[in-house]
Amino acid sequence: MIRNYIKTAFRSLMKNKGFTIINVLGLALGLATCLLIVFYVFDELSYDRYNEKADRIYRVNDDIKFGGNTNSYAVSPAPMAAAMKADFPEIEQIVRFRGKGGNQVKKGNQNIEEDMMIYADPSVFDVFTLPMISGSPTTALTEPHTIVITEQIAQKYFNKTNVVGQVLTFNDTAQYKITGVIKNIPHQSHFHFDFFISMSTLAESRDIAWLSSNFNTYILLKPGTDYKKLEAKFDAFYKKHAGPQLEDILHLNFAKFEQGGNYIRINLIPVKKIHLYSNRVAEFDANGNIDYVYIFSAIAIFILLIACVNFMNLSTARSSNRAREVGVRKVLGSARKYLIAQFLTESIIVTLLGAVIAVFAAWALLPLFNQMSGKELIITPHIVSWLIPALFIIIIVIGCLAGSYPALFLSGFNPIDVLKGKLANGFKGGLLRSFLVVFQFAISIFLIIGTLVIYNQLKFIQNKDLGYNRDHVLTVGNIGALGNSANTFKQEVKQIAGVTDASLSEALPTWDYGNGTTLFKDQAPDQKRALNTQFWGIDEDYINTLGMKIIKGRNFSKEMLTDSTGLIINEAAAKVLAFSNPIDQKLYAPTDNMVKNLKAYHIVGVIKDFNFKSLRLNVTPLVFRLDGGRGAFCVRVNSANIPALLAQIKKSWSGVAPNYQFDYSFLDQQFDSLYRSEQRIGTIVIAFTSLAIIIACLGLFGLAAYAAEQRTKEIGIRKILGANMSTIVGMLSKDFIGLVAIAIAIASPLAWWAMKQWLEGFAYRQNIQWWELALAGIAAVFIAFITISFQSIRAALTNPVKSLRSE
Amino acid sequence: MIKITNLEKFYRTEEVETIALNKLSIEVKTGEFVAIMGPSGCGKSTLLNILGMLDDPDEGSYVFNGIEVAHFTERKRADLRKHNIGFVFQSFNLIDELTVFENVELPLIYTGVPSSERVKRVEEVLDKMQIMHRRNHYPQQLSGGQQQRVAIARAVVNKPKLILADEPTGNLDSSNGNDVMELLTDLNEQGTTIIMVTHSEHDARYSHRIIRLLDGQTVMENIMI
Ligand SMILES: Nc1ncnc2c1ncn2[C@@H]1O[C@H](COP(=O)(O)OP(=O)(O)OP(=O)(O)O)[C@@H](O)[C@H]1O
Ligand SMILES: [Mg+2]
Repeated sequence: MIRNYIKTAFRSLMKNKGFTIINVLGLALGLATCLLIVFYVFDELSYDRYNEKADRIYRVNDDIKFGGNTNSYAVSPAPMAAAMKADFPEIEQIVRFRGKGGNQVKKGNQNIEEDMMIYADPSVFDVFTLPMISGSPTTALTEPHTIVITEQIAQKYFNKTNVVGQVLTFNDTAQYKITGVIKNIPHQSHFHFDFFISMSTLAESRDIAWLSSNFNTYILLKPGTDYKKLEAKFDAFYKKHAGPQLEDILHLNFAKFEQGGNYIRINLIPVKKIHLYSNRVAEFDANGNIDYVYIFSAIAIFILLIACVNFMNLSTARSSNRAREVGVRKVLGSARKYLIAQFLTESIIVTLLGAVIAVFAAWALLPLFNQMSGKELIITPHIVSWLIPALFIIIIVIGCLAGSYPALFLSGFNPIDVLKGKLANGFKGGLLRSFLVVFQFAISIFLIIGTLVIYNQLKFIQNKDLGYNRDHVLTVGNIGALGNSANTFKQEVKQIAGVTDASLSEALPTWDYGNGTTLFKDQAPDQKRALNTQFWGIDEDYINTLGMKIIKGRNFSKEMLTDSTGLIINEAAAKVLAFSNPIDQKLYAPTDNMVKNLKAYHIVGVIKDFNFKSLRLNVTPLVFRLDGGRGAFCVRVNSANIPALLAQIKKSWSGVAPNYQFDYSFLDQQFDSLYRSEQRIGTIVIAFTSLAIIIACLGLFGLAAYAAEQRTKEIGIRKILGANMSTIVGMLSKDFIGLVAIAIAIASPLAWWAMKQWLEGFAYRQNIQWWELALAGIAAVFIAFITISFQSIRAALTNPVKSLRSE
Repeated sequence: MIKITNLEKFYRTEEVETIALNKLSIEVKTGEFVAIMGPSGCGKSTLLNILGMLDDPDEGSYVFNGIEVAHFTERKRADLRKHNIGFVFQSFNLIDELTVFENVELPLIYTGVPSSERVKRVEEVLDKMQIMHRRNHYPQQLSGGQQQRVAIARAVVNKPKLILADEPTGNLDSSNGNDVMELLTDLNEQGTTIIMVTHSEHDARYSHRIIRLLDGQTVMENIMI
């Protein structure tokens, strides 16, 4: 019997090749996209789960409002870890990390820039699952100047992993003894360090200041501890330890501090949530975003729905053509259940074909998708182990869903009615079908609007006036390695023809750099007269090199000796300070973490606000002081021959730092890389939206073909009575276009609302334009019309004699 | 009004070539009522379709009102057709989704008659066919005879010079069939040329002349009157 079903099903599918191809293709496309998204989402959700104790690991966060500035930090004060461990028995272990930044690591007589470095307490191996393949986790980071490296770094520098006891030299000076080699950190981790340096190396780790946060602190709770209960105790804990210091510095207690509208709040985030939910100052990596997980999941579901709807629509539509077959079969004595089985067999075969193609398509597209998404997804045996049963279920569910309507509906019909052709009339209304078409197009239009808004916002970010000029600015890395020769290098570079200006500074606007401090208006710190701000050292060429604008006062000048205590503030800082004329006003900056000593500065200029953080955030206060620093070197170039210019700069570099790599990049590229993840999301969304629309159109194409087929007789009669082609095309398109119009009416407000939510996440945003909605609507109508025209023109061109003959 | 000479029409399927019309020559004068008879498959419908400019011949000439139309483009034929020719079919070919009134109105819409004028003319012709009271019914709600009257109403509403009827009584009983023949005779008496395909000798007697076809060729013409 089954054999007979399958045989008949195959014949029927072969007979209607067009429908079969549309169905299989639509399903395959839909399922393939869905699979890719499922891989992506699972990958995003699997972050940090490689830690065996992941359920008990939490990071300590600080939320601070002070001096006119609100910040969320992923870092905590140095002494907090020890105090927590002492105060809370529910904490089993605690570990601190302190960023180290890039360094030159010696290999032979070559120096290689390495960025993935961190200071860590020895307890890191108790908290995180970082299996050691050489060395002992219990002693590895206990001594100063010891280091643990990953397998890949061991291979890179020594060509073997058994390197405990060997020494690594940083910046030609500092030496670190290797005490352990760990396995490479999994891709799905919120940090990816290659070098773990013992915390005891760092004097700052023994600092006792509670009002300065620099340490990423993670706690491991004892099994069964409720972290919310622990969190509730933090307020008292913090006040107990930091209170005396606050009193000491600001001469007020916490109650007063809070009355001033300020706060310092300590809280915890489960390590498994960091990747998707945390976006604080001083994260280790650019994290993901749960919004995108939701957006992608929604798109996946939408696409699958669209594909299913196609399948259902076409199956039901086509089944009315088979009414006669059903009638004859029934007259000949076929029982209802055999007919049901027959229809279901057909739809399951189609789904199966679609699913098989989808799996291969997803597998083939994975590298492309990885490139688009910046991920490293691979199909592992683990994935296959749940994929196969899942696909099996999907095939049965979709197959039955799509097959059930025609199966139940047609098989239930009275054969006499069917043979008399009454069914055909009953089918023309097709309310369900209209509903499904509206549904599909509403989704497509929603996606089109979403894509337009995302695309527009990204373009807006890219073209926004940032307050500085990022074009034609070259930056040179490793400048810290030059030591005191940095200035010589700068002077040499300035002499090169084609160089307009060059500057040494602590940081560049494209860096995720944080050097926060609090400035006071008075010698005696008063919380009400404080400015919490970024505090960057720059030289007198910085503002010109980066094309920033001074709106009040003047730039730093070498001639003015008093400028060594001069400050240039941005508009945001000026707003908080609220001086009627900020020029020549005094500000006092603490020179130590305990705010024991204050240094007097005076304001010489105000600079137009420029964006030095993500455009998701507003510009916050920033103050420049005159101090070249050793962090960044940027050059404004004005030359058509960049390679020649680079060669010259490189020559100067080799003169001052022969042992170090010359490493450069362009500021605009750095800026673009800040938004790379957004760009990627944008590309993926656009790709998936296009797919969704293609699938929806495939369905519409099939339906239009069906509708034209259903109406062949009518079209024939109308043509005989004198209707011309455009009348016929118009008549056939009218119904569908009407449905698309309804879809527009439903989808536009929904999309408008949803995209508004997304845009709220940007401090700087391009609000949704009416033309975006209009364009999406026009596009949908246009696409639908083209799709339908293909069929209706064909129908209109058919010789009416033929259509009437076939009746 | 109509003159066809050496008209040929072939149908090619994969294996066989059917000669539907074989060097056929016929002339029909304005105001005539002609019946075409012959065994099934001899090419009657094919001939009628060509006369009605729904199809074009493969060879030969077709002069309609002094114009050679054998190789007219589809668009020109359609234009000529909608102003000059009305059709009546065996299976009525009414549009199920439209009411009696709307069915009859269609040809007027396609020839661009303004709406008020359309109402007047449709009502006039429905009245004449005595189906005015059914104007808002759908075809399925009518008997065969009534449906055919609607079809005839639709064929004449544009006041065509020529009516082509393919077995108009084929699906009707004899009394309904006679009514339809009376209607056609009336129309003919008012000056409309009628060419009718029929299998019934009884119906053929309403015409002035019978053309008998066999395998796509004329075998006999008898003039009746
Ligand atoms: N579209 C077509 N394709 C192939 N052959 C066709 C086609 N239309 C008609 N024929 C053939 O042409 C011949 C004439 O057909 P036609 O329909 O004109 O016959 P008829 O005289 O009207 O017959 P009946 O009295 O049964 O209606 C037949 O042999 C038929 O098989
Ligand atoms: Mg015939």
